[in-house]
Amino acid sequence: MFRYIAKRLLSLIPVLFGVSIIVFFLVRLIPGSALEMYMGTQVEATPEQMVELQRIFGEDKPVPVLYVEWLGRILQGDFGYSLRTGRPVLPDILSRLPLSLELTLLSLMLALLIGIPQGILSSLKRNPFSDVINRVIGLLGLSLPQFWLASLMVLAFANFSGWIPMGNYIKFSVDPIRNLRMLLLPSLAIGIGLAAVIMRYTRNSMLEVLQMDYIRTAKAKGLTKRVVILRHALKNAILPVITVAGFNTGYLLGGAIVIEEVFALPGMGRLALYAIYQRDYPVIQAIVLMIATIFVLVNLVTDLIYAMVDPRIRLDDGGR
Amino acid sequence: MKRQSIMLVALLAMTLFGAAGAFAAPAAQAVLTIGVDQEAVGIDPHIVTAFSSMRRIDLLYNRLVRLDDNFVVVPDLAESWDVPNNVTYIFHLRKGVKFHNGRELTADDVQYSLQRILDPKTASPGRSYVSLITSIDVVDRYTVKLNLSAPLASLLDGLTSNNCSIVAKEVVEANGNLQKVDGGTGPFMLQEWIPDNSMTLVKNASYFEKGAPYLDKVIFRVIPEQASLLAGVKSGDLDLATISDGATIRQASKDSKVVVMSKPGLNMRIFSFNTTAKPFDDVRVRQALAMTLNRTEILGIAEFGMGKPTGPVPVAATQWAVPVAKLPYASPDIAKAKKLLADAGYPKGFSFKITCSATYEGGLAVAQVAQEELKKIGVTAELEVVEWGVYIDKWVKRDFATMIELRGGSGEPDRFLYRTFYSSGGVNNFLFKDAEVDKYLDLGRTQTVLADRKASYDKLQTLLTEKAPAIFLYCPNENQVMGKQVSGFKLVGNGSLFYVTYTKVKR
Repeated sequence: MFRYIAKRLLSLIPVLFGVSIIVFFLVRLIPGSALEMYMGTQVEATPEQMVELQRIFGEDKPVPVLYVEWLGRILQGDFGYSLRTGRPVLPDILSRLPLSLELTLLSLMLALLIGIPQGILSSLKRNPFSDVINRVIGLLGLSLPQFWLASLMVLAFANFSGWIPMGNYIKFSVDPIRNLRMLLLPSLAIGIGLAAVIMRYTRNSMLEVLQMDYIRTAKAKGLTKRVVILRHALKNAILPVITVAGFNTGYLLGGAIVIEEVFALPGMGRLALYAIYQRDYPVIQAIVLMIATIFVLVNLVTDLIYAMVDPRIRLDDGGR
Repeated sequence: MKRQSIMLVALLAMTLFGAAGAFAAPAAQAVLTIGVDQEAVGIDPHIVTAFSSMRRIDLLYNRLVRLDDNFVVVPDLAESWDVPNNVTYIFHLRKGVKFHNGRELTADDVQYSLQRILDPKTASPGRSYVSLITSIDVVDRYTVKLNLSAPLASLLDGLTSNNCSIVAKEVVEANGNLQKVDGGTGPFMLQEWIPDNSMTLVKNASYFEKGAPYLDKVIFRVIPEQASLLAGVKSGDLDLATISDGATIRQASKDSKVVVMSKPGLNMRIFSFNTTAKPFDDVRVRQALAMTLNRTEILGIAEFGMGKPTGPVPVAATQWAVPVAKLPYASPDIAKAKKLLADAGYPKGFSFKITCSATYEGGLAVAQVAQEELKKIGVTAELEVVEWGVYIDKWVKRDFATMIELRGGSGEPDRFLYRTFYSSGGVNNFLFKDAEVDKYLDLGRTQTVLADRKASYDKLQTLLTEKAPAIFLYCPNENQVMGKQVSGFKLVGNGSLFYVTYTKVKR
């Protein structure tokens, strides 16, 4: 198993190399530059000042040369300085990682806590009333735009201080209760959509599994309904749900950008957004590399969990 | 029984002491929390240009002189000044002003700061305000003399700019620049900065103005959504918020929980022409459009009426601005506009693009109203809505036919008009070259008798409206929304937060 993990981790190298080339050149294709944003439409500079500014903003050499120089520095662990704030890039990104991680985990937890039971229930009950409720919730969760829901929450809770971060973000390590209270609404905004997806996957998967022979066998053995559903059916039905959850987690961590923006949360998504607006190349490049790494790691963890849940899966064979 | 009564007495005593302790606790700090929608991009006063950075610098630094809330130049670090001839300025500094690191400010610091601004290596945007200074002499510990190569009537106004703040040399040298550190003398000092989250400033106990500031702490919180800013003031998480979106301001003014302050600002909404792009190279075509656009209607729709129509000099600069009613094309004249177009060779109108952006400065709403209005003379406008970075790129490369812009005007006419409309002006993106306009711009900046200057700028305003390198629309209001607990704050038309120095918060 460790050999498998090591092999997967090694695959990070070509992935990151490819990503670095793509992001470096792609981002410079966008019209505009950090220097232009800095100058805006109000500033005038003499030719000597422009030469100096171009040197400061790293625009004085051809792009391939700049790439090689940047790559060299990255390999030594030097991710450079933000063109926008002048601060070192890596510490700033790393300091925002815990918030994005926490938001992702909370959203995932909420989504699973809401989605899986709902999915199970809706696959069992023939009761049309609760079936309709589930279907409606599912549809709403899938269709409601996250940003709209988030904005509504902000408006609704405007009169209740302390429930919305509002730039006043308090870390978990400082005050865990307040922190969780503040992240509840943003996590809900993200989680509801994912809950609907998980609910549907769980429901469909359960419906399929419940038709299986071994379920009939279990029932015939006289096992209680609860044991049949939870220990036999769910365990098999959960596999596609794990895949879906794992896939979405990568996305979530990559940046619940809209949610972070509406709730003014200082996470990685917002940093990436501002970096793109301001053409802050060093920051964009570093964040994209980080997200690529996270994606690969999350996929690895998902596959490991999958193998843990289903002992039939042999990792070395590529899951055959 | 005895033990019980001892316990009871002990309990009573503890409670009393506890209560007394609560009363004896130190008074709560007076903290003002300000919500802004953009993070500061560095705080070095000689380097930054972003409005967001300027708002922090308002409180961290002082200049030689500053503008009060009526755009009048008043003393700041300089108590008084003499102008013996129009190329010499002598400033007498206040005594006992301390930098935040404890050292006293002297004439050497003024010399150092101005030299840093003039140095091409600094690439300072403030350089253009003081570019005619040839030398700065330290006459004595508290007296500094500026020598100019030619008269510059707008020098004093230029020196009020945050870009001309006075800084401490040793702080610059220890840190390379002041982007992340505080080298000022202002009413507040930098305590902590968490980018894209908050910046905390604390009271400068040795500020040169006795008694001020009244607040112990000022915290800037970055909240990009306008609705969230308003929600913050309503919930009490924020005390003050700078809100620019018209719809949100309207909502705020209906809410009894918050106070809205509004005042015509110095920013100016203009419809810019690229005067080298057909058909706008023909002045008659530009005039035809100028005669068609209805300022009041655009202001009413795009900005919910929160602003005032203006000419080339911001209408809030009452000393210099010619009333809009007295300028050409004050009200639309569709018939005349159609005739002009026919004369220029476009009897059936023509089509062209308006470049704009969905950001506040990008003026999308203005473009939409203009598009509608221009139909009246048979002109078809196509909106080119681009992302802000692309908008700036097009502006820099002059890659546009027309554009909606928000320009930072000034109370002193030369400061804004020269760089914008002089044929070699630094922000003349209209590629506009007119000898007569140049002549009056040169005249206005060198004349020293007020009546002469006024005559020159009156003529200039008429000329610029007639030649229309841009159509001057309106000045939107500066807005601040605050909770009822805030008192003592005054709005300044250029957005400056200087009056936080005299603000109090009652909880």
